[in-house]
Amino acid sequence: MPRDLNDDRPPFLNTWGQLYAAIVVYLFVLIGLFYAFTRAYRISP
Amino acid sequence: MRTLDWMVLILSLVTIVGYGLYKGRGSSTIQSYLLADKSLPWWAMGLSIMATQASAITFIGTTGQAYVDGMRFVQFYFGLPLAMIIISATVVPFFHKAGVVTAYEFLEQRFDAKTRLAASIIFLIQRGLGVGLALYAPAVVLSVILGWSERVTVLIMAGVVVSYAVPGGIKAVTWTDVQQMMLIFLGILGAFFAAVWLMPSDVSFGDALFLAGASGKLNAVDFSLDPNNRYTVWSGLIGGMFLALSYFGCDQSQVQRYLTGKSVGHSRTSLIFNAIVKVPLQFFILLTGAMVFVFYQFERPPLLFNKTAETRIEQAGRAGNALAGVQYQAALEQYNEALEERRDAAYRLLEARRNGSPAADPAELRDANRAVDAARREGITAVELAGDGRPYDDTNYIFMTFVTTYFPVGAVGLIIAAIFAAAMSTISAELNSLATTSMIDIYRRHFHRGATDRHYVFIAKSATAFWGLYAAVFAFFGGRLGSLIEAVNLVGSLFYGSLLGVFVLAFGFPSAKRHKYGVSGTGAFTGLVVGEIAILLTSWLTEISFLWYNVVGCVVVVSTGLLVSRFSRS
Repeated sequence: MPRDLNDDRPPFLNTWGQLYAAIVVYLFVLIGLFYAFTRAYRISP
Repeated sequence: MRTLDWMVLILSLVTIVGYGLYKGRGSSTIQSYLLADKSLPWWAMGLSIMATQASAITFIGTTGQAYVDGMRFVQFYFGLPLAMIIISATVVPFFHKAGVVTAYEFLEQRFDAKTRLAASIIFLIQRGLGVGLALYAPAVVLSVILGWSERVTVLIMAGVVVSYAVPGGIKAVTWTDVQQMMLIFLGILGAFFAAVWLMPSDVSFGDALFLAGASGKLNAVDFSLDPNNRYTVWSGLIGGMFLALSYFGCDQSQVQRYLTGKSVGHSRTSLIFNAIVKVPLQFFILLTGAMVFVFYQFERPPLLFNKTAETRIEQAGRAGNALAGVQYQAALEQYNEALEERRDAAYRLLEARRNGSPAADPAELRDANRAVDAARREGITAVELAGDGRPYDDTNYIFMTFVTTYFPVGAVGLIIAAIFAAAMSTISAELNSLATTSMIDIYRRHFHRGATDRHYVFIAKSATAFWGLYAAVFAFFGGRLGSLIEAVNLVGSLFYGSLLGVFVLAFGFPSAKRHKYGVSGTGAFTGLVVGEIAILLTSWLTEISFLWYNVVGCVVVVSTGLLVSRFSRS
């Protein structure tokens, strides 16, 4: 359950900067997973 | 559509309207009608942001796009999380602190009235065209699927939206968006599982993925550096980020969503929610389209997914254009043969894979897919010959044909309801934002200052009704607009870059009102105009992907704005 939200603290992690960094990491993990998915099902002739 | 499907659809629409009217009651002040008294929680705003962006064509067109072109469109959204971070960190606190109702009000605080007026007019033009299209495009598809006239579909959609958006304001719009997004999630999940479940019993989900990959549909990520390649990781991360910054940071239809937050923290969290959910959601929708493609390797797909196209050929025959009919029949025979060979090739490839053949060769299946595509193109050429030469594109009918032909009773109604929900959530937010900008940035600012809240709320309600009527009229005549519809599809990319650029100047650089070397109103205004010209020239003279227009526009606006501000001072 997210904490009560106010201007200072994000719903999880301690600072908004940490949350933003986590989202960036999340995005690149997602791209990595999608790339692995693409490679796994790309069948070369 | 059977009786249960109609009941599901009607019940959904009635529930949406009733809920919207209930939640929107008592909106009698500007703060209440336009900003929900800044009382909304992050999850309501987050779902409303998502619902506003996910139009009906996003839902049905994205699945069709995966069927035709594979999953690479997911890359379009890669820049969205980055944009959400930037907006959350910068734009949200700026807007909340400024106490503005519209994004363009902020521009007058930073620069001057003419910059605000120019930006709000650009928004009204662009969003005005957009809301007409948001109503017209799904109405065309739904009218074919449901067997209604386009105008009846337009009237029903516009009528339902106006019935809760006018009296209820942003509270009604946001809370119905929440409902509608739930319905859309349900529709997407249902469509995916149905597509997989409907596969032949001897074709597993793993087999389906294998065949989709062998057919080149699971092409989710492409690291190509070709700027003319529309969807790559780079165009998505960079171009897509700029587009998302423009849309979510400068377009009132989105800005107004998160200005209703009960705190800056709630507004930020609503954007972070979208940053987390949007990309996997789009991946899932595209995967559904890829599964529909695999399904149709075992069941016969129609040559033309838009049923009215065959009528066009028959009419042409009766009018003496027999050539189109002959060509169509030949294409149909060729198509049927190609489908048989493709199904056999798919089974042979699966058999080879199950037998552990080290080199299960997909070339045969790829050749079979090409033969099917070639036959379909012949049939499409016949349709275009039979008509007035207008290009025929049935991408938006593929998913709906699949649903209405194969889904069980009740599920069809659910999917149609989800599509209506997707359309209405977008249209309601756009009407609300158009009315807000018309009233706050044009009427109150330039024509009638100092009136009562009651007067301004009345004007806002009237403006909502006006824009609803405008959208319906636009959609009524949509069929005659022809290539204008294609132009309208590019409107976002033609205007967003310059809007983004002027907001970058507003947020990223000091204002000349407070700083000796700041950006002046003249600089911002000139930058806006020159940036717009640069985008138009880029679209006319180059072949680069439209995702780069925002980058071009933004860079030109910012550099011109800074230069003009510098030289106008000296």
